[in-house]
Amino acid sequence: MESAALQRRSDVAVDAGGLPRRLAVAFAGLFRGGCPLGMVLLIAALGFLSLYPMGMLLYGSLHSAPPGLAGEYNLDGYAALATTENLIVLANTVGISFVKTALSLALAILLAWIVARTDTPARGTLEVLITLPFFIPPILTATAWGMLGNAQVGTINLVWRWLTGVEWPIIDVFSYGGVIWHMMQYSTPFIFLFVVDAFRAMDPALEESSRMSRATRGQTFWRITFALMLPVTTSAFILSFIRGIEAFESPVFFGTPVGIEVLTTKIYALINHQSQPQYQSATAMGFAVMVLMFLLVAWQWRMLGGRSFTTVTGKGYAPNVTQLGWKRWITFAICIAFFVATVALPVGQLLLSSFFQFFGFYQLDMLTLEHYRGVWNNRDFWAAFANTMLLGVCGATATMALGAIVAYVTTRTRWHGRRLIDVLAWLPWMMPGMVLGIGFLWGFAMLPGGIPIYGTLWALLLAYIALGTPVAVRVTSSAYAQISNDIEECSRVHGASWWQTLWRILVALAWPAFAVGWVLTFFGIMRELSASILLYAPGSEVLSVVMLKMWTGGKPEEVSVIGLFMLVLVLLFRWVQLRLIKKRISTL
Amino acid sequence: MLRRVLVAVAMVMAMAAPAAGQTDAEWQKVIAAARKEGRLVLYTASIGSPFYKEVARTFEAKYGIRVEALEARASEIRERVRIEQAAGRFIADVHHNGATTTWLMQQEGALQPHGGVPNARNVMPPYEADDVRLPSDVTSFVILINRTMVKEADEPKSWKDMLDPKWTGKILADDMRALGGGAVFFAVTHDLFGKAFHEKLAAQKLVFSRDLRNNERRTARGEYPLYFPFVLAYYTQIKNLPVKVVIPDEGRLYVRFDLAMLKNAPHPNAARLFMHHFLEVESQLVYANAGYSPVVKGVLERSSPDMRPFLATKAMGTTVPERQTEMLELAKQLYK
Repeated sequence: MESAALQRRSDVAVDAGGLPRRLAVAFAGLFRGGCPLGMVLLIAALGFLSLYPMGMLLYGSLHSAPPGLAGEYNLDGYAALATTENLIVLANTVGISFVKTALSLALAILLAWIVARTDTPARGTLEVLITLPFFIPPILTATAWGMLGNAQVGTINLVWRWLTGVEWPIIDVFSYGGVIWHMMQYSTPFIFLFVVDAFRAMDPALEESSRMSRATRGQTFWRITFALMLPVTTSAFILSFIRGIEAFESPVFFGTPVGIEVLTTKIYALINHQSQPQYQSATAMGFAVMVLMFLLVAWQWRMLGGRSFTTVTGKGYAPNVTQLGWKRWITFAICIAFFVATVALPVGQLLLSSFFQFFGFYQLDMLTLEHYRGVWNNRDFWAAFANTMLLGVCGATATMALGAIVAYVTTRTRWHGRRLIDVLAWLPWMMPGMVLGIGFLWGFAMLPGGIPIYGTLWALLLAYIALGTPVAVRVTSSAYAQISNDIEECSRVHGASWWQTLWRILVALAWPAFAVGWVLTFFGIMRELSASILLYAPGSEVLSVVMLKMWTGGKPEEVSVIGLFMLVLVLLFRWVQLRLIKKRISTL
Repeated sequence: MLRRVLVAVAMVMAMAAPAAGQTDAEWQKVIAAARKEGRLVLYTASIGSPFYKEVARTFEAKYGIRVEALEARASEIRERVRIEQAAGRFIADVHHNGATTTWLMQQEGALQPHGGVPNARNVMPPYEADDVRLPSDVTSFVILINRTMVKEADEPKSWKDMLDPKWTGKILADDMRALGGGAVFFAVTHDLFGKAFHEKLAAQKLVFSRDLRNNERRTARGEYPLYFPFVLAYYTQIKNLPVKVVIPDEGRLYVRFDLAMLKNAPHPNAARLFMHHFLEVESQLVYANAGYSPVVKGVLERSSPDMRPFLATKAMGTTVPERQTEMLELAKQLYK
C-alpha cells in the first residue's frame, strides 16, 4: 500500500517537471514494492564499499600470505592474539578510549546545553570556536602540546616553575593523561557537533510538562532532556569510543615514548616495524577490534529498539532558552576556557612558530615569512589542494546523499533488509583505518583490469565515501529519529510525492544535521591518510599525503602553515553553515 | 685473508663485466629507446626528500624523459608493488628503497635484472652493485647533542660513552625494535660490542620515539641532551639550532638505499638510463652536499667543505638483511 502511494505521488512529481525532480522520481521508483530494486542496488553499493575490502582483509587474516602469494589457510593470526601482552594492550586501549569518551561526552553535553539552551553571551561565536579543535590536524596539535607540556622544558612547566619556584612539573603530556587529553580535543567537539542541534530540536513542551509535574530542573534534565537525546548521545558515544579505539596519533606521539601501547600502535608495528610485515596478525587484530565494536553497536540497537525519541512534531514551538542571569558569565567562561585550552594555546604556538625559522625558537634573527612563501610556491601543495577540494566536495556530498538514503531506509521504513543495510554502513567505522586502507588497496588492485579504479581519483573517492558513510548515517538517522511520523504522513495526505516529502519535510527539518555531517565528512576527507597513502598515484596526491611528505622532509613549520590555512577554511565553512544555511531553513 | 681478497676481486670483476662489455653504440641504442618510451614511473621510499627530485629534474632536462614519482614508506611501497604485480598491473619501472627491503623484494621475485648500466663500474667499496641492485645513496647515523646542555668535555667520544650513568634517563633514541636507524644501531653495535653492551644501555632508560624529525627538534629545545642515531643528512637543515653532530671514534653507522628495476617494467630503457643518471657524479654530488655518502668515485673530493669532514669519517657498519628478523627479536627482548 505504501509503495502504491509512493508510485502515485511519483507520477504527480513527474508532471511537476524538471530534470532533477525526474531523476529523483526515477530513483524513488526503484524502491517500489516494499523490497525493490533500489534496496538491491543499495545493498550492492554498500557491499562493494565495505564488504569487498573487508572480504580481502578476512582472507588476509585466514591465509598465511597476503592476496597474490602462495600460502595456506590457518588460524595462526587469531591464535597469536591470545597472549598476555595483547590483553594488556587491549585493556590499555579500551580504558583510554572509555575514559576520554566519557569525559568528552560530559563536557560536550555541557557545552551544547550552554550554546543551545541558555542565554550565554555570544553563543553563535562560541559554537564556532568550540568546534575548531576537531579540524586541526592531530600531528600539529601533538607537536604544539609536546612543546607546551613536556616535563623538562615545556612552556607551561617553565611558567609554573617561574611562578612557584618548585622543580617538579605541573603537567607531563607524555603520559596516560596526555594521551587522553589530546584525544579529548578531538572527541569533545565531535560529540558537541552531534548533540548541539539535537538540543535545539527539542520541543520545550515536554520539559515544561515535567516541570508542571513538580520535577526539579535536574530531574527534568535527566528524565526528559537527556532521555530524549539517547539516540544522539549513544550514537555519538559509540562513534567517539570506536574512534578512540582506532586513534593512532595521540598514543604514538604521547604514549609510545613512555611504553604505553594500544591496539593501533601494535598493528602499525606489525605492518611497518618488521622485516616481514605481519599482515595476517594485523588483519586478525583488526577483526578482533571489529567484533568488540559490533557488540557495542548491538547493545545500542537493543537499548534503543522499540522506543520513541520524537521531539520534533507538527506543533509549532520555539526552543526553550534558560535565563541564567549573572550565572551566564560562568557558562561563558567555561566555553572560553575550553577554547583557550584546546585552540588558543596549541594554535597560538603554531601561529607564532610559523613566523620563525624553527618551531619553538623565538629569536628576532629567526623571524621569517619563508614558510608561507614555501607553501605558496609549492606546486605539489596546490595540485594536492585542488585534488583534495574536488574529492572533498564530491565525496562529502555523495557520502551525505548515501548516508541520508541509508538512514531513511533504516529509520523511516520497515522494508526487508534494512538491518543489513545498517550493518553494512557501520562496518568501515569498526575496522581500524590503517587496516582498512590495506583492504582497499588489495580490493581495488585485484579488480579486473577493465574497471578503471585502481590508481585513479576514483579509488580515493570510493574509499572516502566508505569511510565517511557511518558518520553520515549516524548524523542523519539521529536527526530523523527526532522527527515525528505525523509530519511526514501529513505531507503525503496533502498530495506531496515521496521526493517532495523527503525534500520539504525530512531534509528541511534535518538540514542542520546534514550540514554538520557534510562538514564532518569534508574535513574527514581532508585529513584522511591511512587509505590515501596506499591508494594515491602520481598525479593524484592529496593534502594529507603532501603534509606527510613535508613532515618527514623536516618541514613541520610549513605543515603548520597548511594547518592554519585549513583552520581558516573551517571558519569559512562554519560561517556559511551557521549563517547562510540557517537562513535557508527559515525560508523552506 | 687471501681468500677474501680473491672473492672481493671476483665480485668487482663480475660487477664490472656487463658494463665493460657494453659498447658505446649499444648504450646509445638504450638512450634512443628510452627517449622513445618518453616517461618512467619511480616508486621511492625516500619520502619527503628533495634530493631524488633534483636528480629526476636534471634527468628530465638532459634526456627529455618525464619522471613520475610515488613516495611512500618502505613497507607501503613494498606492499603496493607486491599486490600490483600479483594483480598483473605492472605500473612502476624503478624501485628506490632501503637495501634490506630491496633484498627482500628480490627474494620475492619483484625485481628483474637491469641489463647493465655503464656507471655501475664507478661504484666504490664498501658498496656493491650487481645485475639487479645498484646502490644509490647512503644514509649515515651519528649522535646529536644539545650544545647548551653538553659541555665539550662531556661529549661522547665512543658509542660506549652513552653507558655513563650521567646520561641515565637523558637519552632520546630511535626505536631499536623497529626497522630504521635504531635497528641498524642495534645490529651493528651488538655484533661489535656484544649483548652486554645493550643490557647496560637498556638500563640507561632510553626514551624511544620514531618521530625522527621531531626528535632532533626536541633535542635542540633541550628536552634531552643526547639523541641517537641521528640522520647526518638532516643536519644541514638544523645547523642554526643549538645542536652539534658527534661522530664517535668507532665511526658512523650507515644504511644503503638501492635502485632496482621492477619486474615487467613498462619502460625498461628509461629505467635503465635513469639508474645510470643516478650514479653520475653530478647526481651523487646533490646527495653528498646534503650529507649522504656518495656511492661512486670522484664525488667526495668535490663535495661541500661543510660536509666533507663528516663523510670522510669511517663507515662503521650496516645491517645484514638475512639477520634482520633475528636482530629485531633480540632487541625486543632487551628493550622492553
